[in-house]
Amino acid sequence: MIASLRRGMLAATLAIAAPAMAQAQTVLNFWDMIWGPPEYIETAKKLVDRFNAEQSVIKVQYRSVPWANWYQTYVTAIGAGTAPDLSTGAGYQPVQLYEQGAIKPIDDLIAEMKASGELDDFQPGTVERLRFDGHYVSLPWAIDIRVWLYRKDQLAAANIAPPTTWTELRSAAKALTAGDRYGLAASGDTGGSHYIYSLMINNGGGLFDDKRTLTTQSPRNREAMDFFAAIVKDGAVSPASAGYDSASRRRAFHLGQAAFILDGPGLPDAAPPETRANIGILPPLAGPHGDKGTIAWTNSIMVYQQTKHYAETKTFLTWWSRNQKPLWTEGHAGPMPARKSFAADPYFKDSALRSFIIANYLPVGKTTGANAAGIFPVLNAIEGDGVVQSLTQEILQGKDVGPALAKAETKLKEIVQ
Amino acid sequence: MMAGQPRPRRGLRLLAVSAIAAAINAPIIFMLLNSFRSTEEIMASASLLPDVPTLVNFVFLFARTNYVQFFFNSFFIAIASTVVTVIAAALAGYAMSRWQGRLVGGYARMLLMVQMFPIILALIPLFIIFRVLGMINSPFSVIIIYGAVHLPFATWMFRSFFDSIPRELDEAALVDGSGRFGAFFRIVLPLSGPGTAAVAIFSFLASYNEFFIASVFLRDEAVMTVPVGVQMFMQQYATDWGGLMAAATATAVPTFALFMFVQKYVAYGGVEGGVKG
Amino acid sequence: MRPRLDLLPLAFLLPSILLIGLVILWPLITGFDYSLHAGTMLKQGRFLGAGNYTTLLGNEDFWHALRFSVIFAITNVAGCYLLGLGIALLMNADIPGRPFFRVAFLLPWIIPSIVSVVSWRWMIADAHAPVNLLLKLVGINPIYFLSSDIWAQVVVFAVKIWRSFPFMMLSLLAGLQGIDKTLYEATAIDGATRWQAFIYVTMPQLKNVSIVLCILMTIWTINDFETPFLITGGGPSYATENLILMAFRYVFQRNNVGIGSAVSFVTFLILTALAIALLRLQRDRG
Repeated sequence: MIASLRRGMLAATLAIAAPAMAQAQTVLNFWDMIWGPPEYIETAKKLVDRFNAEQSVIKVQYRSVPWANWYQTYVTAIGAGTAPDLSTGAGYQPVQLYEQGAIKPIDDLIAEMKASGELDDFQPGTVERLRFDGHYVSLPWAIDIRVWLYRKDQLAAANIAPPTTWTELRSAAKALTAGDRYGLAASGDTGGSHYIYSLMINNGGGLFDDKRTLTTQSPRNREAMDFFAAIVKDGAVSPASAGYDSASRRRAFHLGQAAFILDGPGLPDAAPPETRANIGILPPLAGPHGDKGTIAWTNSIMVYQQTKHYAETKTFLTWWSRNQKPLWTEGHAGPMPARKSFAADPYFKDSALRSFIIANYLPVGKTTGANAAGIFPVLNAIEGDGVVQSLTQEILQGKDVGPALAKAETKLKEIVQ
Repeated sequence: MMAGQPRPRRGLRLLAVSAIAAAINAPIIFMLLNSFRSTEEIMASASLLPDVPTLVNFVFLFARTNYVQFFFNSFFIAIASTVVTVIAAALAGYAMSRWQGRLVGGYARMLLMVQMFPIILALIPLFIIFRVLGMINSPFSVIIIYGAVHLPFATWMFRSFFDSIPRELDEAALVDGSGRFGAFFRIVLPLSGPGTAAVAIFSFLASYNEFFIASVFLRDEAVMTVPVGVQMFMQQYATDWGGLMAAATATAVPTFALFMFVQKYVAYGGVEGGVKG
Repeated sequence: MRPRLDLLPLAFLLPSILLIGLVILWPLITGFDYSLHAGTMLKQGRFLGAGNYTTLLGNEDFWHALRFSVIFAITNVAGCYLLGLGIALLMNADIPGRPFFRVAFLLPWIIPSIVSVVSWRWMIADAHAPVNLLLKLVGINPIYFLSSDIWAQVVVFAVKIWRSFPFMMLSLLAGLQGIDKTLYEATAIDGATRWQAFIYVTMPQLKNVSIVLCILMTIWTINDFETPFLITGGGPSYATENLILMAFRYVFQRNNVGIGSAVSFVTFLILTALAIALLRLQRDRG
């Protein structure tokens, strides 16, 4: 209320002052999702302040957007005509909002970056992945990925070597289960559904083939789900898991109530200091056929159709893309940087965990679209709808894989058609 | 039948009612107690009572969230929608009390329809209307919707108050030459002061408590109400039980305080209306 | 004289008719129109006729949500009625400190839904949560309430009963206090037991108020979004998804406004039919 009043007064003051001022500042609204621990927001704000201080033409206003109901937040804002000029967002947000006419493609920016060679700084495939309908709908800034982490203390105590294959993971998880402790931490929410995507992709499968056709019930996917179900049947997953959210799953891992977890690269940064040293990373696991892979998303920055200052937005976007390294080095952002030059910073080079992820996991990461090239709007609906969450819950509840997978396919088909 | 029963029986009954009341309110009692315990203590301690009462949760809550802003928004929205509801419902309640016929009968059926209308059906059309009017992420969209949604119970309550005011008084005013509106505003309304207060506080509470509509239309922290803010907090700090309990307790305090003022009117219009679904 | 009489009440009703027209009637018509189209929140799609409705008929989720809504309504009405009547009967007797207890029993009803959900989630959070500690005392193994379809449903039912029984209790208590005492004296002279007095005097006297209460409670329960949404979000695996949650999921997660509107419109028709049928029943008997 007060804020909108203040905004109104500010607008009025500006309107009166405008004729007197030779060159009014352009105000841009930049919305950023919360990509890391509390210091992330502080760092991002400082970075925006730096931009505002370095020049006097553009003034960027930073707003931090919580993940809860993010889609509603954006749709509501677009509907209200109060969309930001640019924002970061969920992996498939740019294509989905583009399809609804809300996103302005940045073909010219990409062309300029290509001409200057700057585009080569981006990790292979990230830029092209965001090409949709013949347009570049947003600019990559990070790659979020799910990796296998483990408790060094627990494996050492049981004298178990870190697993490198599915078979080893299963037997280790089983061996580490005793009393209140379980081998594998899992949850029934969105974070839990990443286990499904990751295992399917790990086994060379995934929800889609290269023609964007659904392949939910393919033999490879079935095999991956059977593997997950077997770990559950072994009793190596807490019976409460289906009702857990990601916070509870992580808590169990941090408290040493579980030895393995599939999570983002930022997990150790958010862990209590005393557990941080105990967290190790597994190599990408080899499936029964020797395949490797996991789920990954290209996070990007998109520009909205509602912007009245495209040129200025482009200026800021370019600056932000080049100067955002502190988001990791100081803000401890969770996902890995899309720019190779950032990955060369000691923050990544000197960290065993981060450099390992960049070297070993990034090359095998695939999107929710799995074997399909690029991303497409329906992926957002798939992640939002809860079909895969529900599949996760059924497997964690110990229900039969066959019917659960068939049910998921029926629902996915409804979404895709 | 009631008086003159032997003492032991009365004592036994008191014991039974106390036990039931304690059991039913257990979640609220735990919430209150836990809001004064640190999350570590809640998770670790086997006792259900705070060992070392602390305010850390409240400090965290007010430091990390815009809770004060949420309260301000909630109060503004609740007061404004109460004004809308009370004005519309008082007039309509008077019409329903004093007239019969097809118009009033039709209106009564319309009220029943409002009562059973799944509000989600209206959300998208309303979203589009408010979009055209530039009222999304604005408190006014929610104020108008609450004003309409809380009409049935408010109208029924007003009607039962007005029914208890003799028609002869209106007629006296009519003879005096001050038409129907004059009779209503000068005679009937002033006589239903306590009733108006009760309706007002109930519609205030219903608006203050509401989550669904607010969560769809208010997605900007500058305009969010307390329940939407708490839900956001709940998703962000899902395992921080101390903080969550503090948020819930702080949210319930205004409701509780206001309810104390009106609880004696609570039986009025009892069956026909209700504070919430 | 006649037209004046019609215009005057209209003047009094005008503000509320405008309000209802804007918030309910107009959206009802356009909402029906949306249910005949494809489209998203930001963009209306092509005309499908009854397409969305036929899709619904073949949709397993719809039938599940419908079934869950019905069971939800039945358990809630029954639970609230039993608990509400029981406590109302107790409160109708001579008890010291009655005003205090009246407030105490109303608390679950007056606190915001989000508050009751936060407090209940803690009650059942894990193996060491209060409810499981209580179960342990009687020798039952901990139950992971939100991980099991059935238990998650039970939790949603329980919390809903907890949140809404006070209204039932309050209205039944008012009904009980309105019963003419001489009726009891007459049965006492006839030598009836307390149970017989309850069956032949109390219950018939409460009949009308009970029917109205049950209709209202059914409508409110079928329309309930907050209880299942805030506790389980409809899970695990859609086990606690009612019609309103399903409509919400289609509109806001699947981005399919047409089907979402069709689900809500069907809900509206069901509630209308229910209300008409029950009001007829009441009129015929009453």
